Amino acid sequence: MSTKTIIGVFEDESILLKTLRTLKSNGVNIKDIYGPCADHDLLKEFTRESRLPYVSVLTGLFTILATFAFIYYVSVIDYPLQYGGKPVFSFPPMVVILFLVCILVTGGVSTFAFLGREQMYPGKNPELIDPRAADDRFFLVLDQNFNPEEIKGWLKESGANEIIEKDNDE
Amino acid sequence: MNTSYTLSKTTGLVLTLLIIIGIVAVITGFVTDPARTWPNILLNNVYFLTISMGAMMFYSLQYITGSSWSAMFQRIPLALGSFIPIAAILMLVIYFGLQDIYEWAQPGITETDKLIAHKAPFLNTPFFMIRMVIYFALWIIPFLMLRSLAIKEDLEANIAFYQRSSFVSKVFIFIAVLFFSMAAIDWIMTIDAHWYSTLFGFRAMVTSVYYAVATIILLLFFLKSKGYFPQLNEAHRHDLARYLFRFSIVFGYLWFMQFLILWYANIPELTVYYQPRFLGEWKYLFYAELFMNFAIPFVVMMADDIGKKKPVLIGISSLLIVGLWISLLVQIMPGSYGVLQFGFIEVGMWLGYAGMFMLITLFALSKMNMVPQNHPQLEDSVHHHL
Repeated sequence: MSTKTIIGVFEDESILLKTLRTLKSNGVNIKDIYGPCADHDLLKEFTRESRLPYVSVLTGLFTILATFAFIYYVSVIDYPLQYGGKPVFSFPPMVVILFLVCILVTGGVSTFAFLGREQMYPGKNPELIDPRAADDRFFLVLDQNFNPEEIKGWLKESGANEIIEKDNDE
Repeated sequence: MNTSYTLSKTTGLVLTLLIIIGIVAVITGFVTDPARTWPNILLNNVYFLTISMGAMMFYSLQYITGSSWSAMFQRIPLALGSFIPIAAILMLVIYFGLQDIYEWAQPGITETDKLIAHKAPFLNTPFFMIRMVIYFALWIIPFLMLRSLAIKEDLEANIAFYQRSSFVSKVFIFIAVLFFSMAAIDWIMTIDAHWYSTLFGFRAMVTSVYYAVATIILLLFFLKSKGYFPQLNEAHRHDLARYLFRFSIVFGYLWFMQFLILWYANIPELTVYYQPRFLGEWKYLFYAELFMNFAIPFVVMMADDIGKKKPVLIGISSLLIVGLWISLLVQIMPGSYGVLQFGFIEVGMWLGYAGMFMLITLFALSKMNMVPQNHPQLEDSVHHHL
């Protein structure tokens, strides 16, 4: 069974949004949308579950615990030094350190997790579906479709400027 | 849409009942223990003035930033501001109870207390009252101007009213920021006359908007349940939720900034403020203040999808209404009455004040259109979406 990737090209995101709703109601598998700018309605309509927030939360929790353990070890167990009449173990001054280290480490780990997942690195050539996606066109990518003719009909009907077909085997 | 609020009989009855409870509580308080009643009067005055001033700052902010999302319900903060003139009268009554609240107002204290004697040129009864009158005069005038501009705008479609409101808002926010900070220093911080915090006034001023937004949310849903604001949608709730979330961070930041620096600097005359609160009998309220005003709203509001749900917004706003009371209790009571007391006087007076505050607000709402008629951004607000 040969499946095809169908790409609809749009000039106007409102038309794209309308098309997206039609296709979704007909149960078409939408792979991705490429475009020059973000659109809140599109984001609401087409959201893909990201696991990045879980990475951030777990890193944050781990960092807070690890930093707390480190400060506790340093200031209570290894080198208990009395200063300013405060108890050796005193929580309030730790808060700022925990907070800042947590932000720093979580930010860094999240960034690198994202870059790693997307296989990105500085100086990498951009993988564009079409050079115009960085200019003024929106690209609606539909993958693994078993009724390409029908989908093309819907796309044409709702006002796609152009329809590109690609064979998946290539 | 072009209706104004009509006070229903049951609402009026409930509010009148609350006011009667309040009057009974005040009388009971003065008969049994005036020294406990006066700080409570100050507390409730400051409590509701905080909400009023915060609401007016919120109102001004909408004009200054040109925000369109709130144009639909901006009469609510304007109506909440109607309490400012009443608060002026109630604050002036404090004159008779100054000695019960402020240590520096006690006769003969300047002879025994060198520090208060040093501060006496600023902290003396006549100057205190003069400052109070000046503050209220400076707040009431721009408030009345904004109110009359809003009413005129309803009668005549003219962009000039919007522009003039925008200008008066800039004047008001300047006055409010400067003088509400000073008022908080005057009325609350000088209770502990030996202590000072340079952050105190700023913190009181900024967090007032926080509680005002909570009150606006509660009032908005109350009015929605009565059939007003049918266009209130998810995007409005989202924006209100973001307001609460961001201000919870601001609250936590300022609260901790003041606490950490004073507690850890270990300068006795500064640490003495936190001694009874952090370690003494106020300990649990001290933590309750932090959790109710910062930790719980922060965690709950963090997720966007949870924060904008109606029950969550109402729950967190109600929590903040209690949180402000505890916050002010911890600020006012240790220095004035000195002992933690919680009974009919405290609860009854708060209920009475709340009833009066709501009655004034709803009365003000009934005097003008619920939705501004000729606001240039009204359509944008009605169809607000993200």
